[in-house]
Amino acid sequence: MSYQAANPLADEFELELGGAWTAYWLAFLRVVTGWWFFHAGVTKLIENGLAYGYGPAYLQQMTGTALGPLPVWMGANLGWLIEAMVPLGETLIGLGLMVGALVRLASVFGAFFMALFWVGNAGFGHGVVNGDFMGLLLFVTMIVLATGRYYGLDAIIEKTRFVQRHPRLKYLLG
Amino acid sequence: MQQHTDIIDKAAMALSGGLMLLGIVGLGIVEVLAGQPYGAAPLTNDAGEIIATPMVDPTIRTGLVLAGLVVLLVYGLYRLATPVEEADAATGHETMAD
Repeated sequence: MSYQAANPLADEFELELGGAWTAYWLAFLRVVTGWWFFHAGVTKLIENGLAYGYGPAYLQQMTGTALGPLPVWMGANLGWLIEAMVPLGETLIGLGLMVGALVRLASVFGAFFMALFWVGNAGFGHGVVNGDFMGLLLFVTMIVLATGRYYGLDAIIEKTRFVQRHPRLKYLLG
Repeated sequence: MQQHTDIIDKAAMALSGGLMLLGIVGLGIVEVLAGQPYGAAPLTNDAGEIIATPMVDPTIRTGLVLAGLVVLLVYGLYRLATPVEEADAATGHETMAD
């Protein structure tokens, strides 16, 4: 394993796996973040199936936010999709992170969800950096550090011949 | 995978980091210096009446952060769309001295 003290990120767009603790902690963070979303999604599925009515209603009350008319439009016009995709999306994002498969792709959607929650909940009483924003940052961290490669299935998937032939897929895996 | 940072990488890092830090820290300092409320939500009394509002609209601050995240998303899509460089440069060949 090469190591460049001046720039440990020089080889790849990820942290060099310098030690067991790095791998342990990144994998732990990934699984906990995954469980957070999986729990949120699967309990909605149990209670409401693919008809989570609060989703569109939540989006429609997001008036006057930095996201402009987008969430209100989504709530008004894509209600059927939101009702299904909130529980399903949260569950799949969580599953992906827990097993470490397609972590970067799942985390993009996770960050999108958290951006909506952060802006929509607007719990800014103690500043704009709150729990929702920290959740958003966690998903971005999963993407930047490619945490699926640490005790995750992406470490195996990336070694397959198919991914070797299409290395661009590593931007979705990892 | 990426072997080195080019101008696109540096621009994405500078722009996204700059936008997000401006929204979070830069305008956060302004908010603190402007006095109460130190957070980004209106201050209310026991009756629930608003007695002070943030100097900087939280919509602007969250908008700056979201803009920074959009920069990162666009950068990621750009990386996904551009050919992946060969890994030769990254393997760190050991060159023997003559």
